[in-house]
Amino acid sequence: MNIAPQTLRIIALLVVLALVTAFFASVIPNYFNARLFNRISSSVAIMALIATAQTLVILTRNIDLSLGSIVGFTAFATGSIVANHPATQPLVLVGYAMLVGAAFGVVNGALVSYARVPSIIVTLATMAIFRSFLVEYSDAKSITADQLPAWLVDFPNLVLFDVGGVEFRAAFCAAVAVVLVVHIALSRLRPARQLYAVGSNPEAADMAGINSQRTVFVAFTLAGALAGLAGFMFLARFGTITVVAGLGFEFKSVAAAVVGGVNIFGGSGTAFGALIGAVMIDLIDTSLVRWDLVSEFWREAVLGALILTAVAVDAILMRRLIALRVRREKERNAREAKP
Amino acid sequence: MTNPVLSLKAVSKSFGMTKALADMSITLFPGEVHAIVGENGAGKSTMIKIMTGVHQPSSGALELAGKAITLSGTGAARVAGIAAIYQEPMVFPDLDVAENIFISSRLGWVQNKAALRAGARALIGRIGMTLDVDRIAAGLTLAEQQAVEIARALSQDVRVLIMDEPTASLSAHEAAQLRRIARTLAEQGVAVVYISHRLEEIFEVADRVTVIRDGQHISTRPVTEVTSDSMIADMVGREVGNYFTKAPSQTRPEVMLSVKDLACADIFQGISFDLHAGEVLCMAGLIGARRTDVALSLFGIRPATRGAVRFKAEPVQIASPAQAIGLGMAYVSEDRRKFGLAMPMSIKSNITLATLRGILSPAGILNRIKEREIAEAFRKRLNIRTPNVDLAVEMLSGGNQQKVMLAKWLQLKPDLLIFDEPTRGIDVGAKAEVHDLIRSFVANGGAALVISSDLPEVLALGDRILVMREGRQMGILDHAGATQQSVMRLATGQAAA
Repeated sequence: MNIAPQTLRIIALLVVLALVTAFFASVIPNYFNARLFNRISSSVAIMALIATAQTLVILTRNIDLSLGSIVGFTAFATGSIVANHPATQPLVLVGYAMLVGAAFGVVNGALVSYARVPSIIVTLATMAIFRSFLVEYSDAKSITADQLPAWLVDFPNLVLFDVGGVEFRAAFCAAVAVVLVVHIALSRLRPARQLYAVGSNPEAADMAGINSQRTVFVAFTLAGALAGLAGFMFLARFGTITVVAGLGFEFKSVAAAVVGGVNIFGGSGTAFGALIGAVMIDLIDTSLVRWDLVSEFWREAVLGALILTAVAVDAILMRRLIALRVRREKERNAREAKP
Repeated sequence: MTNPVLSLKAVSKSFGMTKALADMSITLFPGEVHAIVGENGAGKSTMIKIMTGVHQPSSGALELAGKAITLSGTGAARVAGIAAIYQEPMVFPDLDVAENIFISSRLGWVQNKAALRAGARALIGRIGMTLDVDRIAAGLTLAEQQAVEIARALSQDVRVLIMDEPTASLSAHEAAQLRRIARTLAEQGVAVVYISHRLEEIFEVADRVTVIRDGQHISTRPVTEVTSDSMIADMVGREVGNYFTKAPSQTRPEVMLSVKDLACADIFQGISFDLHAGEVLCMAGLIGARRTDVALSLFGIRPATRGAVRFKAEPVQIASPAQAIGLGMAYVSEDRRKFGLAMPMSIKSNITLATLRGILSPAGILNRIKEREIAEAFRKRLNIRTPNVDLAVEMLSGGNQQKVMLAKWLQLKPDLLIFDEPTRGIDVGAKAEVHDLIRSFVANGGAALVISSDLPEVLALGDRILVMREGRQMGILDHAGATQQSVMRLATGQAAA
């Protein structure tokens, strides 16, 4: 039996997810029902996209702390376009959001890969700068749902199909579809392989003739575009956009990616893992609200502890796994060397 | 013979004042295994880096299949069909074997996993190995990682494959397998450049042998016409200048450090010697001799797994550097940047770094006046050339950096000084000064264990010379009986003392 470590990781994550759900179901009355799924799926629709964007960047051994600001800005920019031009085609609007997001990603990517400034510094700065753009652009005014066309406000609640009260809403299905597309692209496309290579061993990537600068640049740009899409989703879901839109999403996205098995040092991880990470974090966040035992002041701490646990368990598990394989291989070699 | 695939024509390469290669000419033919031998620092690495486009020659030219070519970078070398594998292979730990092999391939956007696997299997098979192509590279042994790298080179129609010390870290079984791979590739028309310190394997694998020394081409001969003695003579046959003359021995009767049958796992075994007060014992050997590992064990960084050590007549078991320092040992690392100095910090801060406790005021605050006094004293004593002691260490020349590092350790007033490559990369004048410092240290009753790859230095400094080879002690030579040839014979395993 030879399951790829990434597959193993996802299976482990799903098991943990089931255990967590079972645990909350045992301590919270009336916990496990269709409403739980509906509530979580609406917020995961946004977070899954940002976690996937973050995954693209982390895979290259970088980090993007400006994603939350990009979400906020694109949400506002898209909202003001559609408020002023209500006849804008939906797909044009989505394209606009992704383009704006990608433009921010280009700034990050150029500074990190061509100006060689560490990504944590670049994106810490652009997190603040992009947020200021939003304040300036919005003139400290908010967009409200009554300025938006009906199709946009209705979009997140549009139920595609319904299985006994469990509603599969359009926004959620779209987000999952995007994540799956990215997931398949990451595992099947040759340029994606280079993304992993750059994060896995940068020196070897250079020796292998991979243009690591371009690879990192593309990763940031795509992450920006995905954050732009998340901005569109954010606008549709909340309708009301203020200058604090998307605040803190950058940290949640890092948490989701890491819980989902994306190696913070680059080189390994999957988009599907990040999706499950996003679900896990949202599930715990939502459930802690309903669990009387944990006061709301401790919610963040419990969430933090969970992230540490997930990363630690993952590290130990992977090390064991590799050690086991090496041992098995050594035994096999010893057997072969004997005769 | 067929036409040459790659030739270097009178290639020279300088780094600042040092000349790493001088008028180097070498011709490689398809289907040959061409061994290149030389001492540490003879210029082999520079030559490889020029062949693989990492460095550009300062003068001279490269010809590929008879046409002049400029290798502007590693990418250009790869396109020209020149690849190199090293002692420490370059793999992507998170990717599987098949992906590792085809990482540089430019064919299409979508990868066909089945075709990738089949291609990987075929390439691995071509070099006579078996390897599960679905395994991720993180768990592969060194030999397997090298196989992956060779297969990667083959996937790009390699014409010249450079193997740099490929067997240095391999077991005997794996090394034999690698030599077979080299032969197989040559039979398939690849020109294999094989760099090795193991002279005996050269007779097994090579068609021709080139000896280089001090950046110069000395000889190229068919392997049938060389003997290990002739190779060693070519490797060390330099005129020994009189810039190093051996000072008289100051060895005292009392034993400072006594080592009996020291071993560390499978890294080194059977190290035994007595080091007296007032004595300089030099450890000689080639890359992979594991001399530094012995030093690291003695200093408690990687404690020995077997054997007995007595220090100042007391049996000791050193488990940590802190313990070693407490007993009176000092270890000056060969890697100034990594283990030696805090480069952006000032000279005075570096000198007092290991002894901060000594310059604390009763209130626990650093006494800056005292710090400066200490630094100034060492600046005079060691003749550190600097306008002032506030200068960042990175601004100093290599020789002066070495003196700062020495000052840091001398401040601890050690009885035993382990000095790893004390003069690597510093100029002749500074070398002589460092030698004088080591001699005055032992003249005051200390003992010095000096690891050096510089044979003239070993002969000039060592009262006795311990020669190692691949983790084993080959013998201890008295200064009187030691010559470059006798040391090199032991270091290459051609003789036992």
